[in-house]
Amino acid sequence: MTELRELARRLLSEGTVNAVLGWEEGPRGARPAFVTTPDGADRLIFDHRCVHNLASYLSPRRPHLKRLGKVAMVLKPCDARAVAGLIRETQVPRENVVLIGVRCGGVVTDPDSDATLSEATVADRCRGCPDREGKLADHTVGTAGPGFPGPSHRAQKIEELAAKPADQRWAFWQAELEKCVRCHACRQVCPMCFCDRCLADKTQPRWIESSPHARGNMAWHVARAMHLAGRCVDCGECERVCPQGIPLGLITRKIASVVAERYDFRPSDDPAVPAPVGTYRMDDPQEFIL
Amino acid sequence: MSTTTFIRTGDLKGLVADLRAAGVGVAGPARTSDGAVDYRSITAFDDVVLDAQPRNSLKQFFLPPTEPLFKYQRKGSDVAILEISATFPPRVIVGARPCDAAAVDVLDHVMNWDYKDEPWFGRREATTIVTFACPGGDRSCFCTAVGLGPDATRGSDLLLVPAGDGYYVEVVTEKGKRLVDAYPKRFGAGAGVDATLSYREKARASVEGHVPARPDVIRQWVQEHFEDPFWADISLRCHGCGGCAAACPTCHCFDIVDEPETLTEGTRRRNWDTCQTSVFTAHASGHNPRADQCGRCRQRVNHKFAIYPARFNDILCTGCGRCARTCPAGQDVTEILNRIVAMATGQGGAA
Amino acid sequence: MDSTTPATAGGFEPRITAFVCNWCTYTGADLAGTSRLQMASNVRIIRLPCTGRIDPMFITKAFERGADGIIVSGCHPADCHYNAGNYHARRRFAIFRELMDFLGVDPSRITFSWVSASEGAKWRDVVNDAVTRVRALGPFTAYRNMVVVQATAPKSSSPEHAGEGEGLPMQSLAADGVAPGASKEVTA
Repeated sequence: MTELRELARRLLSEGTVNAVLGWEEGPRGARPAFVTTPDGADRLIFDHRCVHNLASYLSPRRPHLKRLGKVAMVLKPCDARAVAGLIRETQVPRENVVLIGVRCGGVVTDPDSDATLSEATVADRCRGCPDREGKLADHTVGTAGPGFPGPSHRAQKIEELAAKPADQRWAFWQAELEKCVRCHACRQVCPMCFCDRCLADKTQPRWIESSPHARGNMAWHVARAMHLAGRCVDCGECERVCPQGIPLGLITRKIASVVAERYDFRPSDDPAVPAPVGTYRMDDPQEFIL
Repeated sequence: MSTTTFIRTGDLKGLVADLRAAGVGVAGPARTSDGAVDYRSITAFDDVVLDAQPRNSLKQFFLPPTEPLFKYQRKGSDVAILEISATFPPRVIVGARPCDAAAVDVLDHVMNWDYKDEPWFGRREATTIVTFACPGGDRSCFCTAVGLGPDATRGSDLLLVPAGDGYYVEVVTEKGKRLVDAYPKRFGAGAGVDATLSYREKARASVEGHVPARPDVIRQWVQEHFEDPFWADISLRCHGCGGCAAACPTCHCFDIVDEPETLTEGTRRRNWDTCQTSVFTAHASGHNPRADQCGRCRQRVNHKFAIYPARFNDILCTGCGRCARTCPAGQDVTEILNRIVAMATGQGGAA
Repeated sequence: MDSTTPATAGGFEPRITAFVCNWCTYTGADLAGTSRLQMASNVRIIRLPCTGRIDPMFITKAFERGADGIIVSGCHPADCHYNAGNYHARRRFAIFRELMDFLGVDPSRITFSWVSASEGAKWRDVVNDAVTRVRALGPFTAYRNMVVVQATAPKSSSPEHAGEGEGLPMQSLAADGVAPGASKEVTA
């Protein structure tokens, strides 16, 4: 923590950056912090409750953050995959952000949790995560635990669902999608959802019915899944923030596994690796095409 | 109304069974498949979970997230409007929290302002709200700062407070009295108000002091500081997701859309909307008067603590704390209000 | 029943929307017509410049508005008028197909094919296959009826949809009070 604070203080006092995006202790646990003065660096924390993917704040569609100017961002290895995505898709020029990598041995799911990090409390996305530090970082600080082995509960749930008859899967998703009230929190927190104007907000034509009934919700979640195919970094923010408790991670993770199997692509923190949708190989499998 | 009565826990279970047998819909806070507690339809009183604040509020029972208003058919240049049957079957909500019951009453102002909202009041009249005094809240609760409290009766038809082997019942409205009168065998003599005092005091102590009870100070500061840098400061972490508005028992803005089913017919609906999104204020010209999240965060506080009070002399917030609990970025309304009070009374400034 | 047989009274005839590219499949379908090949008449063709232009949202919209089945068809690999549109589409629809399957939509409602301008006979086969398959699956009311609003005034729904009110998930949920959002439609 001292190392992190000292580095942030130096970057701010030397004028390298105007703000440091990190985490602080809020009224309800860890939360995103925007430190703009060298003394403010003492607010910064990093521990297993720092679950938020701060890369969302780098998104160019946030004009109220642009006025901060050049920023440094504290990033976990998994967040680095999102930053790499933003750089890959030319949303963030690499030289415009200073990346302070923190070594990470896993986080819990709730930033307000008072649980210690354990096999029982660790976030599902951390199970089997091989990365203790992000290669993309300019600076790397801290120490990390050994991480947690798999298997992911979500992957198991996906397998269970996939093994069921189609009508049971349909019934499962009907009940889940029925709950959606279309607040679009899943979109807003997603670091990879950076469109200036979302398809869901467009009215001419209205591809996605805006009403939160199951049919409109189905169209929205299909569109979201398709637009994130090969781009989702599996940070789990969409599922964490859903005020209705819809297991959105099942969809994104399922698509990620399809992309991994068919196109041998896994999100990494290397911005130079091209995304699988938007590229192609002439010999891509096409067993489903007559 | 100020009569009181008593109901034993066993009779409460019986009352829910009686209501169900009579074809009355019963809803209450109950566990969902994902482990949370939501207000939802229940089949028995045993489903009711009273020790956790429900994730949703009562709002959806009166203003559903999506609601068809009418259907339309076009024939050439003519348009035919087809009414949708609007019957509101009787319903009893058992186990409402005082903050959620009060919110419905707060919203009656705006729903009967320049136009009487028929579906809202249709459901209001069909629904009896049986509130249970709150056992106490967490650090984000501040109902006492907005003129309410863990045993406030506002918006409730009956208020139940645990006492002895059942609940002390305050009959708040005529509608509440009708419910009691309809099932006389379920109600009777029991512990008096004295037996409820320690419960009430303990609950009050758990929520008091989280925000100073200074709504007038907050209102004045907000009215006078439209351009204050404070708004830009607090909006930095806001994702603009509107989760706060969805969870809020008093956020009531809606959008009206026409949804075509075929080329010639469709349905007009109204859907929940929120001032936290950029499209909420986007003009057809492309101009957006609330250009960024600063204005949207300000609007949420402004509407609740200044605009609504100016128009209806009532605060559009019941201190339930859901917005703070649901915010993915840790935005906390108690912190915002505390900072406003501190700035207004000269005890601090924007951090 | 042979897919080219006209609908018998009361039998279910699927409505199938075909999204095809302008350069190959549309021309192939045209060839099937000018060659007077007999085929099922259940398919309505929407012509697009390229399979790369076919957004998955077209398919969900078609299901919303009453399609029972979908055909997506374009140029064979290496034949794309724009060089690579079909390669991009191939990846997109491979993923889309798996997504729909995961959400419980029978993927055999959606047919993907490559049909060149000279393959009128193949287009006929693709159409007849799809119609036979979707006819066996029955109407896809489960999708469009995810929301159903009953009007009380003279006519309840469009003539084609009348009497197709079975399997309304939202209403059944509302009645049982299963989902938290169930109250959405409880009284409407």
